[in-house]
Amino acid sequence: MNHGQSVNHEGWLAALAGELRRHGVDRDLAGHVVAEAATHLRDSGEAPLRVFGPPETYAAAVADSVGAAEPRVYRGAPGPVRLEARGITKRYRRHRVLTGVDLTVRAGEIAAVVGANGSGKSTFLRICAGLASPDRGQVRVHGTVGYCPQSGGTSDFLVPEEHFVLVGAGRGLHRDTARSAGRRQAAGLDWDPTGPTQARHLSGGTRQKLNLVLAGLGDPDVLLLDEPYQGFDRGTYLDFWHQLWDWRAAGKAIVVVTHLLNQLDRVDTVLDLSPVRQPVG
Amino acid sequence: MCRVDQERRGQWLRGVLDLCVLALLARRESYGYELAQSLNAAGVGPIQGGTLYPVLLRLQRTGLVSAQWREGTTGPARKYYRITVAGGETLRQTTADWATFSGGVGAILREVSTR
Amino acid sequence: MTKLLTIAEMALREMLRRRSVLVILLVLPLLFYLSRRGDHLGQSIRFVCLGLGWALSTAALFAGSAAREIEPRLRLSGYRAYHLHLGRLLALWVVGLLLSVPYFLLVRFDQHDVRYGAIALIMLLTVATAAPFGLVLSAVLPRELEGTLVLLIVFGLQMMLDPAGTAARLLPFWASREIGTYAVDHTDGGYLTRGLVHGVVFAVALTALVALASGIRLRQRSHLKFSPIR
Repeated sequence: MNHGQSVNHEGWLAALAGELRRHGVDRDLAGHVVAEAATHLRDSGEAPLRVFGPPETYAAAVADSVGAAEPRVYRGAPGPVRLEARGITKRYRRHRVLTGVDLTVRAGEIAAVVGANGSGKSTFLRICAGLASPDRGQVRVHGTVGYCPQSGGTSDFLVPEEHFVLVGAGRGLHRDTARSAGRRQAAGLDWDPTGPTQARHLSGGTRQKLNLVLAGLGDPDVLLLDEPYQGFDRGTYLDFWHQLWDWRAAGKAIVVVTHLLNQLDRVDTVLDLSPVRQPVG
Repeated sequence: MCRVDQERRGQWLRGVLDLCVLALLARRESYGYELAQSLNAAGVGPIQGGTLYPVLLRLQRTGLVSAQWREGTTGPARKYYRITVAGGETLRQTTADWATFSGGVGAILREVSTR
Repeated sequence: MTKLLTIAEMALREMLRRRSVLVILLVLPLLFYLSRRGDHLGQSIRFVCLGLGWALSTAALFAGSAAREIEPRLRLSGYRAYHLHLGRLLALWVVGLLLSVPYFLLVRFDQHDVRYGAIALIMLLTVATAAPFGLVLSAVLPRELEGTLVLLIVFGLQMMLDPAGTAARLLPFWASREIGTYAVDHTDGGYLTRGLVHGVVFAVALTALVALASGIRLRQRSHLKFSPIR
């Protein structure tokens, strides 16, 4: 078998390992499955895609046979109100972007904000975060807030771990605590943040991972996320949703702006800002 | 040899693959790739790894086979499967059921070929 | 205190990573000094101080612009507005002071028959004024390019306008020329006093402007109310 083929295998096998982890397969077993697949590929000399199919499919079949538990989606009784927005109205030039929008999010709930482009989703979130002022309306927040913009929000010339220390100090975290907390959260998104790469040299998707980790650093009670998954590949996008469900289980109130609807069955509230503008419970 | 419709063949295979694997393991212990080759040689194949290994895992989980990693004499370490006592019981019982079932199917279909 | 120092530390790290800014900081004053060294005695001193001011203002401008993206998030993370602008100013002042030392020593050993104490005062006032000046520009102007052009105009005028005229007093670094006259030409103490007052007033006023701009941009908005966790 030539070198080129074994290199292909490594990529496929690494992807398989990641997918098995995402499906909640026990780590030792996952290692065995990957090793066995590697041996089989060596013996047969055929391409992985032909023998096993795409890594996601094979991993799903394995998880199914093994009876692995999908990371549990906890849905207990929602807690006290954490975010209350009432009558938010905002006008840009002559154009009414938001008219009397209401939203209540409790601890342990996820609210998705959807709507067409230009319907004011980002503006609404920025108003909730206190980064913009509405023409009318009030927002009340119980606890601390973490915000993740669609892009930006990082310091070009600092490396990720320095970001952790910087934001962590604001939350009152000691340096080492901040760094290890950041590393732990980054691992959940399949990212190693140690290393000397400055933020300006990170790829778009990685920069957004940094953004997301920074939003959650220091355990804020309310999380406001503005389509933070720009540049995420499919696997990371799934990891991101698992992170949201973990946060929900931990009792946080989350508002996420999204235009991808296929995860909506796993959120508690949907706020639709399209021109009809009705909040849907 | 006539070319069987792939979808129907897939359906047949789903019903009997675990049985065939158990039968092969009843003769002697084996590892994944070797099993795939035996199945192919017997005319049931080609069985891809993506189909075979989940079956092996399920058999392992239900206690019908046991597995062991062993250093190979040639090549890398391999996971060897062997049939358990419970597996042998299940195999005996299900083979009997299969004989009855396939006999019935064969009887119905024989009428077609004799027409 | 930790918050302030963390901001200052990160601002320093950022500056050290920007090679182009570092080069400007280190080399610009030197070039200014050398360009006038053959001339009439005091010119090179005046120019090195202006060069110091220009370089530090540029560094402050870039630092302020770069910070704009992350400051809203920092504010949400628990920093107050004063942590953010004071921390940055602190880092810039430290850099300015460190930069002044070799240049002061250069003047000390290369130039004779001047009042060295006054020279040191000029450099101090320049550093104190240049840092907030650059930060104010970054707060007021949208991009670094516009800020650089404004700096060009200000320092250009500073070099060309007759210091005795009234127009020159409106410029932030007039003090350096006035005290410079005192130091080089051995004039009476009036020059020193006038320059000192002007320098201090501008330094304080610019620092206050930075605080104001920062406070407005990162203000707590009236529509949003926070309550502690129940």
